Amino acid sequence: MPNTAETWKFAPAYELPAWPFVEPPELVTGRTRRHPVVIAGGGLAGLTLACELAQRGIRAVLLDEDDTVGVRGASSRGICYAQKSLEIFERLGIYERIRAKGITWSVGRTFSGADEVYAFDLKDESLSEQPPFINLQQFYLEWFLVERILELDAELIRWKSRVVAIDNESDHVKVEVETPAGRYALEAEWFIDATGANSRIRNAMGLEVNASHGTDRWCITDVKFKQPFAVERWTWIDAPFNEHRAVWQHLMADEVWRLDYQMNEGADPEAISRPEVAGARLREQLGPDVEFEFVWIGPYQYRDHLLERFRVGRTLFIGDSAHVVSPFGARGGNNGIQDAANLGWKLALVLNGEAGEVLLDSYHAERHAAAEENLKVTSRTTRFLAPRSAAEYRMRRAVVALARTHEFARKLANTGRMAQANAYPSSHCAPSGARSLQNVAFEGTSVMRELAEGTRLLGLWFGAGAAELASVEDLEKRWPVRFRSVEADGALAHHLHAEAGTLVLVRPDAYIAAVVDRATPGFVEALLRSALGRAAVGPAV
Amino acid sequence: MNSAPNIADPDGFYEAWLNAHEHLSDADSAELDARLVLLLANQLGDQELLLECIAAARAASNGTKR
Repeated sequence: MPNTAETWKFAPAYELPAWPFVEPPELVTGRTRRHPVVIAGGGLAGLTLACELAQRGIRAVLLDEDDTVGVRGASSRGICYAQKSLEIFERLGIYERIRAKGITWSVGRTFSGADEVYAFDLKDESLSEQPPFINLQQFYLEWFLVERILELDAELIRWKSRVVAIDNESDHVKVEVETPAGRYALEAEWFIDATGANSRIRNAMGLEVNASHGTDRWCITDVKFKQPFAVERWTWIDAPFNEHRAVWQHLMADEVWRLDYQMNEGADPEAISRPEVAGARLREQLGPDVEFEFVWIGPYQYRDHLLERFRVGRTLFIGDSAHVVSPFGARGGNNGIQDAANLGWKLALVLNGEAGEVLLDSYHAERHAAAEENLKVTSRTTRFLAPRSAAEYRMRRAVVALARTHEFARKLANTGRMAQANAYPSSHCAPSGARSLQNVAFEGTSVMRELAEGTRLLGLWFGAGAAELASVEDLEKRWPVRFRSVEADGALAHHLHAEAGTLVLVRPDAYIAAVVDRATPGFVEALLRSALGRAAVGPAV
Repeated sequence: MNSAPNIADPDGFYEAWLNAHEHLSDADSAELDARLVLLLANQLGDQELLLECIAAARAASNGTKR
């Protein structure tokens, strides 16, 4: 029963920075200019791409309709940042700020009632300099990205600038922008839609996303309290303190806990998010004595969608505009970040004339495949957490009953499979597919440090001597690639199962393009031609 | 999938299966079979074989409602 005598306290709203609108050159001079890249939308995906491009020396423009980060109203959307994202941020120069502000974790536990059903420790599989996960309110990440972008290119972001129309021409995209100082147009060689799930740009182009909406209802309650809960991801399949429905418990920065409660399907979103109703739920979980303050209460329903083509002419779609999945396993924001990392180096090399335009089709091939996989994985979790029939409930009860005493059944309990860097299937520019390389430290450096400067592939040649390196010097002059010798018995060799003589070709996004046992300059050149979209057909590896 | 006889003591197995269900309500019976399916599935392990068994079980319903 709600304690009607209790008064509910709200923490003061987060203080977010605001940046000024500056009248753009187009409005000042009245002249339309053509830019290499124009990005619409300053969320995680858009900002990460802007930062990638700025670091790679491409002068992009990012248009954001707001003048701050996050969603007004103090909510945080994403909270869990996966290792691959953290490695990308290490390369972009903001990882240390994220680590200092955020909550590092690797252990997850799943409960049914009062019993633990299964647990995992992601650190067991990690060799990276970055931890498996850091939790942080999304707007902090966006804030750090904005400040890093401003350091690199003070004019890159245009605030209070809303895209109202685009026109796809054969050699550019015309972008109409509305600002407090009036409307103007600019031209983009490449236009990126990063305006999110409800993109008006995408919708105006008449592109189908095959959206579906879940019937399962949840209510996020971000709460501030000091309580010695474990700094771990805890999930309940059926929590006794939530009428035997699911609950999520996660810590973010500033001692704010995200508690996410599964509600009845027919629940009224307005009713379940009233402070006295949310407060009563918290009292059930925390007991009568813990003092807390609400930070944010927000009911939501899942939706998912997947755009059919991530590239349409000179327009490319990244982040939620291209794909949305239910939140289990943190596969939303992390994949927007990875879209940006996949696209950044490809755009830079195409714009510099160092790669063929077909490389941008490989952005679709790779990231669409990743989005499809994420959709499959999250849909399975959704079905475990919200069984659709009496039979599905029975099957879940069978799993939970066996899990207590039989280890194998723990693998069937599914409260989310945590985001990993998806492996990419074979495609035109990656005939053998591509898989992510962790940020392993070696010989006083690390994979990300080796990739931080410029936009080049990295040839890690294990046990290579001066003669081998001299044999590929000519390739370094003609292609965006750099080779270095790596110890054949070190940590990196071990991680990659590389032996003396193995050459591992790493892309600027830290994906492995090829592993070659006996490298010859001619064969390596064929690999480069393929990886950079210059080959009619890629070589078989 | 092996459709040829492979159970060492067919009558004994069938009897034990029936006995396990004795005095259970329909609901509890169904729960027991669900647990049994999982335990047996883990003995097989092979994904292709499991999918074949699921398809065969679904195809063989003897006139009951699907």
